[in-house]
Amino acid sequence: MTFNPLEQRGIPLDRQLRSWRELNVDPIDPDHCDPYTRCRIITMNGIEVEAILFSHQLARNTVDPEVKRQLARVRYIEAQQQKVVNWLLPGVSSVLETTIAYEQVAVDLTAWVARMEPDPYLRQAYEFGVLEDFDHLYRYANLYEMIEHRKAEAIVDDLTEVMPGRPTRFHHRDPVDNVRDPYAKDRTDPLSKLHALTIMSAEQQTMNFYMNTGPTYMEPIARQLYQEIGLIEEEHVTHYESLVDPGETWWEQLVNHEYNECYLYYSFMEQESDPKVKAIWELHLNMELEHLHAACDLMRRHDGRDPASVLAPELPNVLTFEPNKGYLRELLDTQMDLTTLGAGYVREAHERFEKMQEQIHGGEAPPSDRVMAEHDEMFGREYRVQTEGEHPDPAQREK
Amino acid sequence: MSELHTPHAGDDRAKDDDVVALLMRQHGDIRNLFDEVEATSGEERRDAFRRLVRLLAVHETAEEEVVHPFARQGFSGGEQVVKDRLAEEKAAKETLAALDEMDTDDPQFMPQLLRLRADVQAHARAEERYEFTHIRRSTDVTDLAAMAKAIKAAEAMAPTRPHPGVESAAKNMALGPVAALMDRTKDTVRKAMGKG
Repeated sequence: MTFNPLEQRGIPLDRQLRSWRELNVDPIDPDHCDPYTRCRIITMNGIEVEAILFSHQLARNTVDPEVKRQLARVRYIEAQQQKVVNWLLPGVSSVLETTIAYEQVAVDLTAWVARMEPDPYLRQAYEFGVLEDFDHLYRYANLYEMIEHRKAEAIVDDLTEVMPGRPTRFHHRDPVDNVRDPYAKDRTDPLSKLHALTIMSAEQQTMNFYMNTGPTYMEPIARQLYQEIGLIEEEHVTHYESLVDPGETWWEQLVNHEYNECYLYYSFMEQESDPKVKAIWELHLNMELEHLHAACDLMRRHDGRDPASVLAPELPNVLTFEPNKGYLRELLDTQMDLTTLGAGYVREAHERFEKMQEQIHGGEAPPSDRVMAEHDEMFGREYRVQTEGEHPDPAQREK
Repeated sequence: MSELHTPHAGDDRAKDDDVVALLMRQHGDIRNLFDEVEATSGEERRDAFRRLVRLLAVHETAEEEVVHPFARQGFSGGEQVVKDRLAEEKAAKETLAALDEMDTDDPQFMPQLLRLRADVQAHARAEERYEFTHIRRSTDVTDLAAMAKAIKAAEAMAPTRPHPGVESAAKNMALGPVAALMDRTKDTVRKAMGKG
């Protein structure tokens, strides 16, 4: 079935406001939920947070008070959507539990996008990034067992393997080497624009989450690990946001945002296993359709262009949460030793990279290495989930 | 699930000089045992459930003897925080007692176990957020370590490893009913705290 959001109408904007009773959603059960339901929730929270922040930036750059009011109206509804989506997460989960779910999102969302991405340069950017999130999952999983005596597989449920990726200590690059080249807005596949926006939003929300929750831990190793990985999330936001063509006008960007929200709510509605959560995806899709039409009107008025000219003729194939184990193992086998140089990728540790490494590590083991040492002291082993056999890279097999 | 075994709190090689860290790990151990009960059946489930009941009984009793009295006096508002936790513990113990008399193959067993699990998990997080945070803030390293020692002494009262059916039944018999276990835990903890 094809679905063209431009041809569908949703719930009129003036009927989208929800009362406290409607906002008060039942959270998912952390011990019995579908792990990918939790991944979809975390993804959509990141998308709504980006929608809100983008709209604020746009409003701050808008002179016309009537347009500001219009943006405020839609933004308030988006803020309600964010509340409903993120409040599906249960209060009984610890920060670390949610963190592991965030990393599962980063791994399986980025891997899926990389597999589907038509542009080879963009695909390389996702392939490069996913091996880092993959390693973060492994480090946090070891911390989780130390602090809560729980195994990450109780969260990721064998859908995602937990083992070393590109070692976290090598993720600290000179900031200028994190800036990529953008796609060309008029030549790129419309799907590529959606991919870039989705991954940028997810990484941005992960950055926000770690920068704010990291210091709530009292254990020194936990505080330090959040600080280290939090800084890498800053690098990832820089990496992914620079893929977006800065030549897109504000209105064109607004349309892309709203279109992407329609695309993702539609995708998640199609695959959701939890009926209560599915109903929320469906409701939000019906809200987003009107947000999209409002954005299209603004683009027509301010840019004098037809939004259909920058969008896909129909919704792309649904974005899917599913295991990506084989694909990730292939990347582990071939791209572990990559780093960036300028907007490209190299296998050798170049001068700028080495200088950054020297300065940030200061001759000591970083928290991401120390967490493994402390875990080993406590349990005499590592924590891994290798459902498909030993690590593809012999150097990364457990000693 | 992987073959990796996570030892119980006190059995890993952590220094165990901080009562809060120790209890947080024990909360994870309890959660793991709920997983095990849910994932097994027949004799295996019976055995896992026996271990869960014992760990819960010992854990809650030890908290009541060691941590709650300290929290009650240790920080402002502690009295009310402890009162709330005790009410949760009482409710959980009643469900636990009812479950303890039920056969694990009873069709009513699983729905009740899931209710208990949700209550225990909410209770554990409430302790971590509203009680343990204050304890760490207002307690010096000596007291944190002394309380950890008492909790560890109590922990020795609960068998933590799975064992074959016959032996398990014999061992359970030897340990007696849950109420007796709670009493013995109290005595052990009081001795360790120097109040014997």
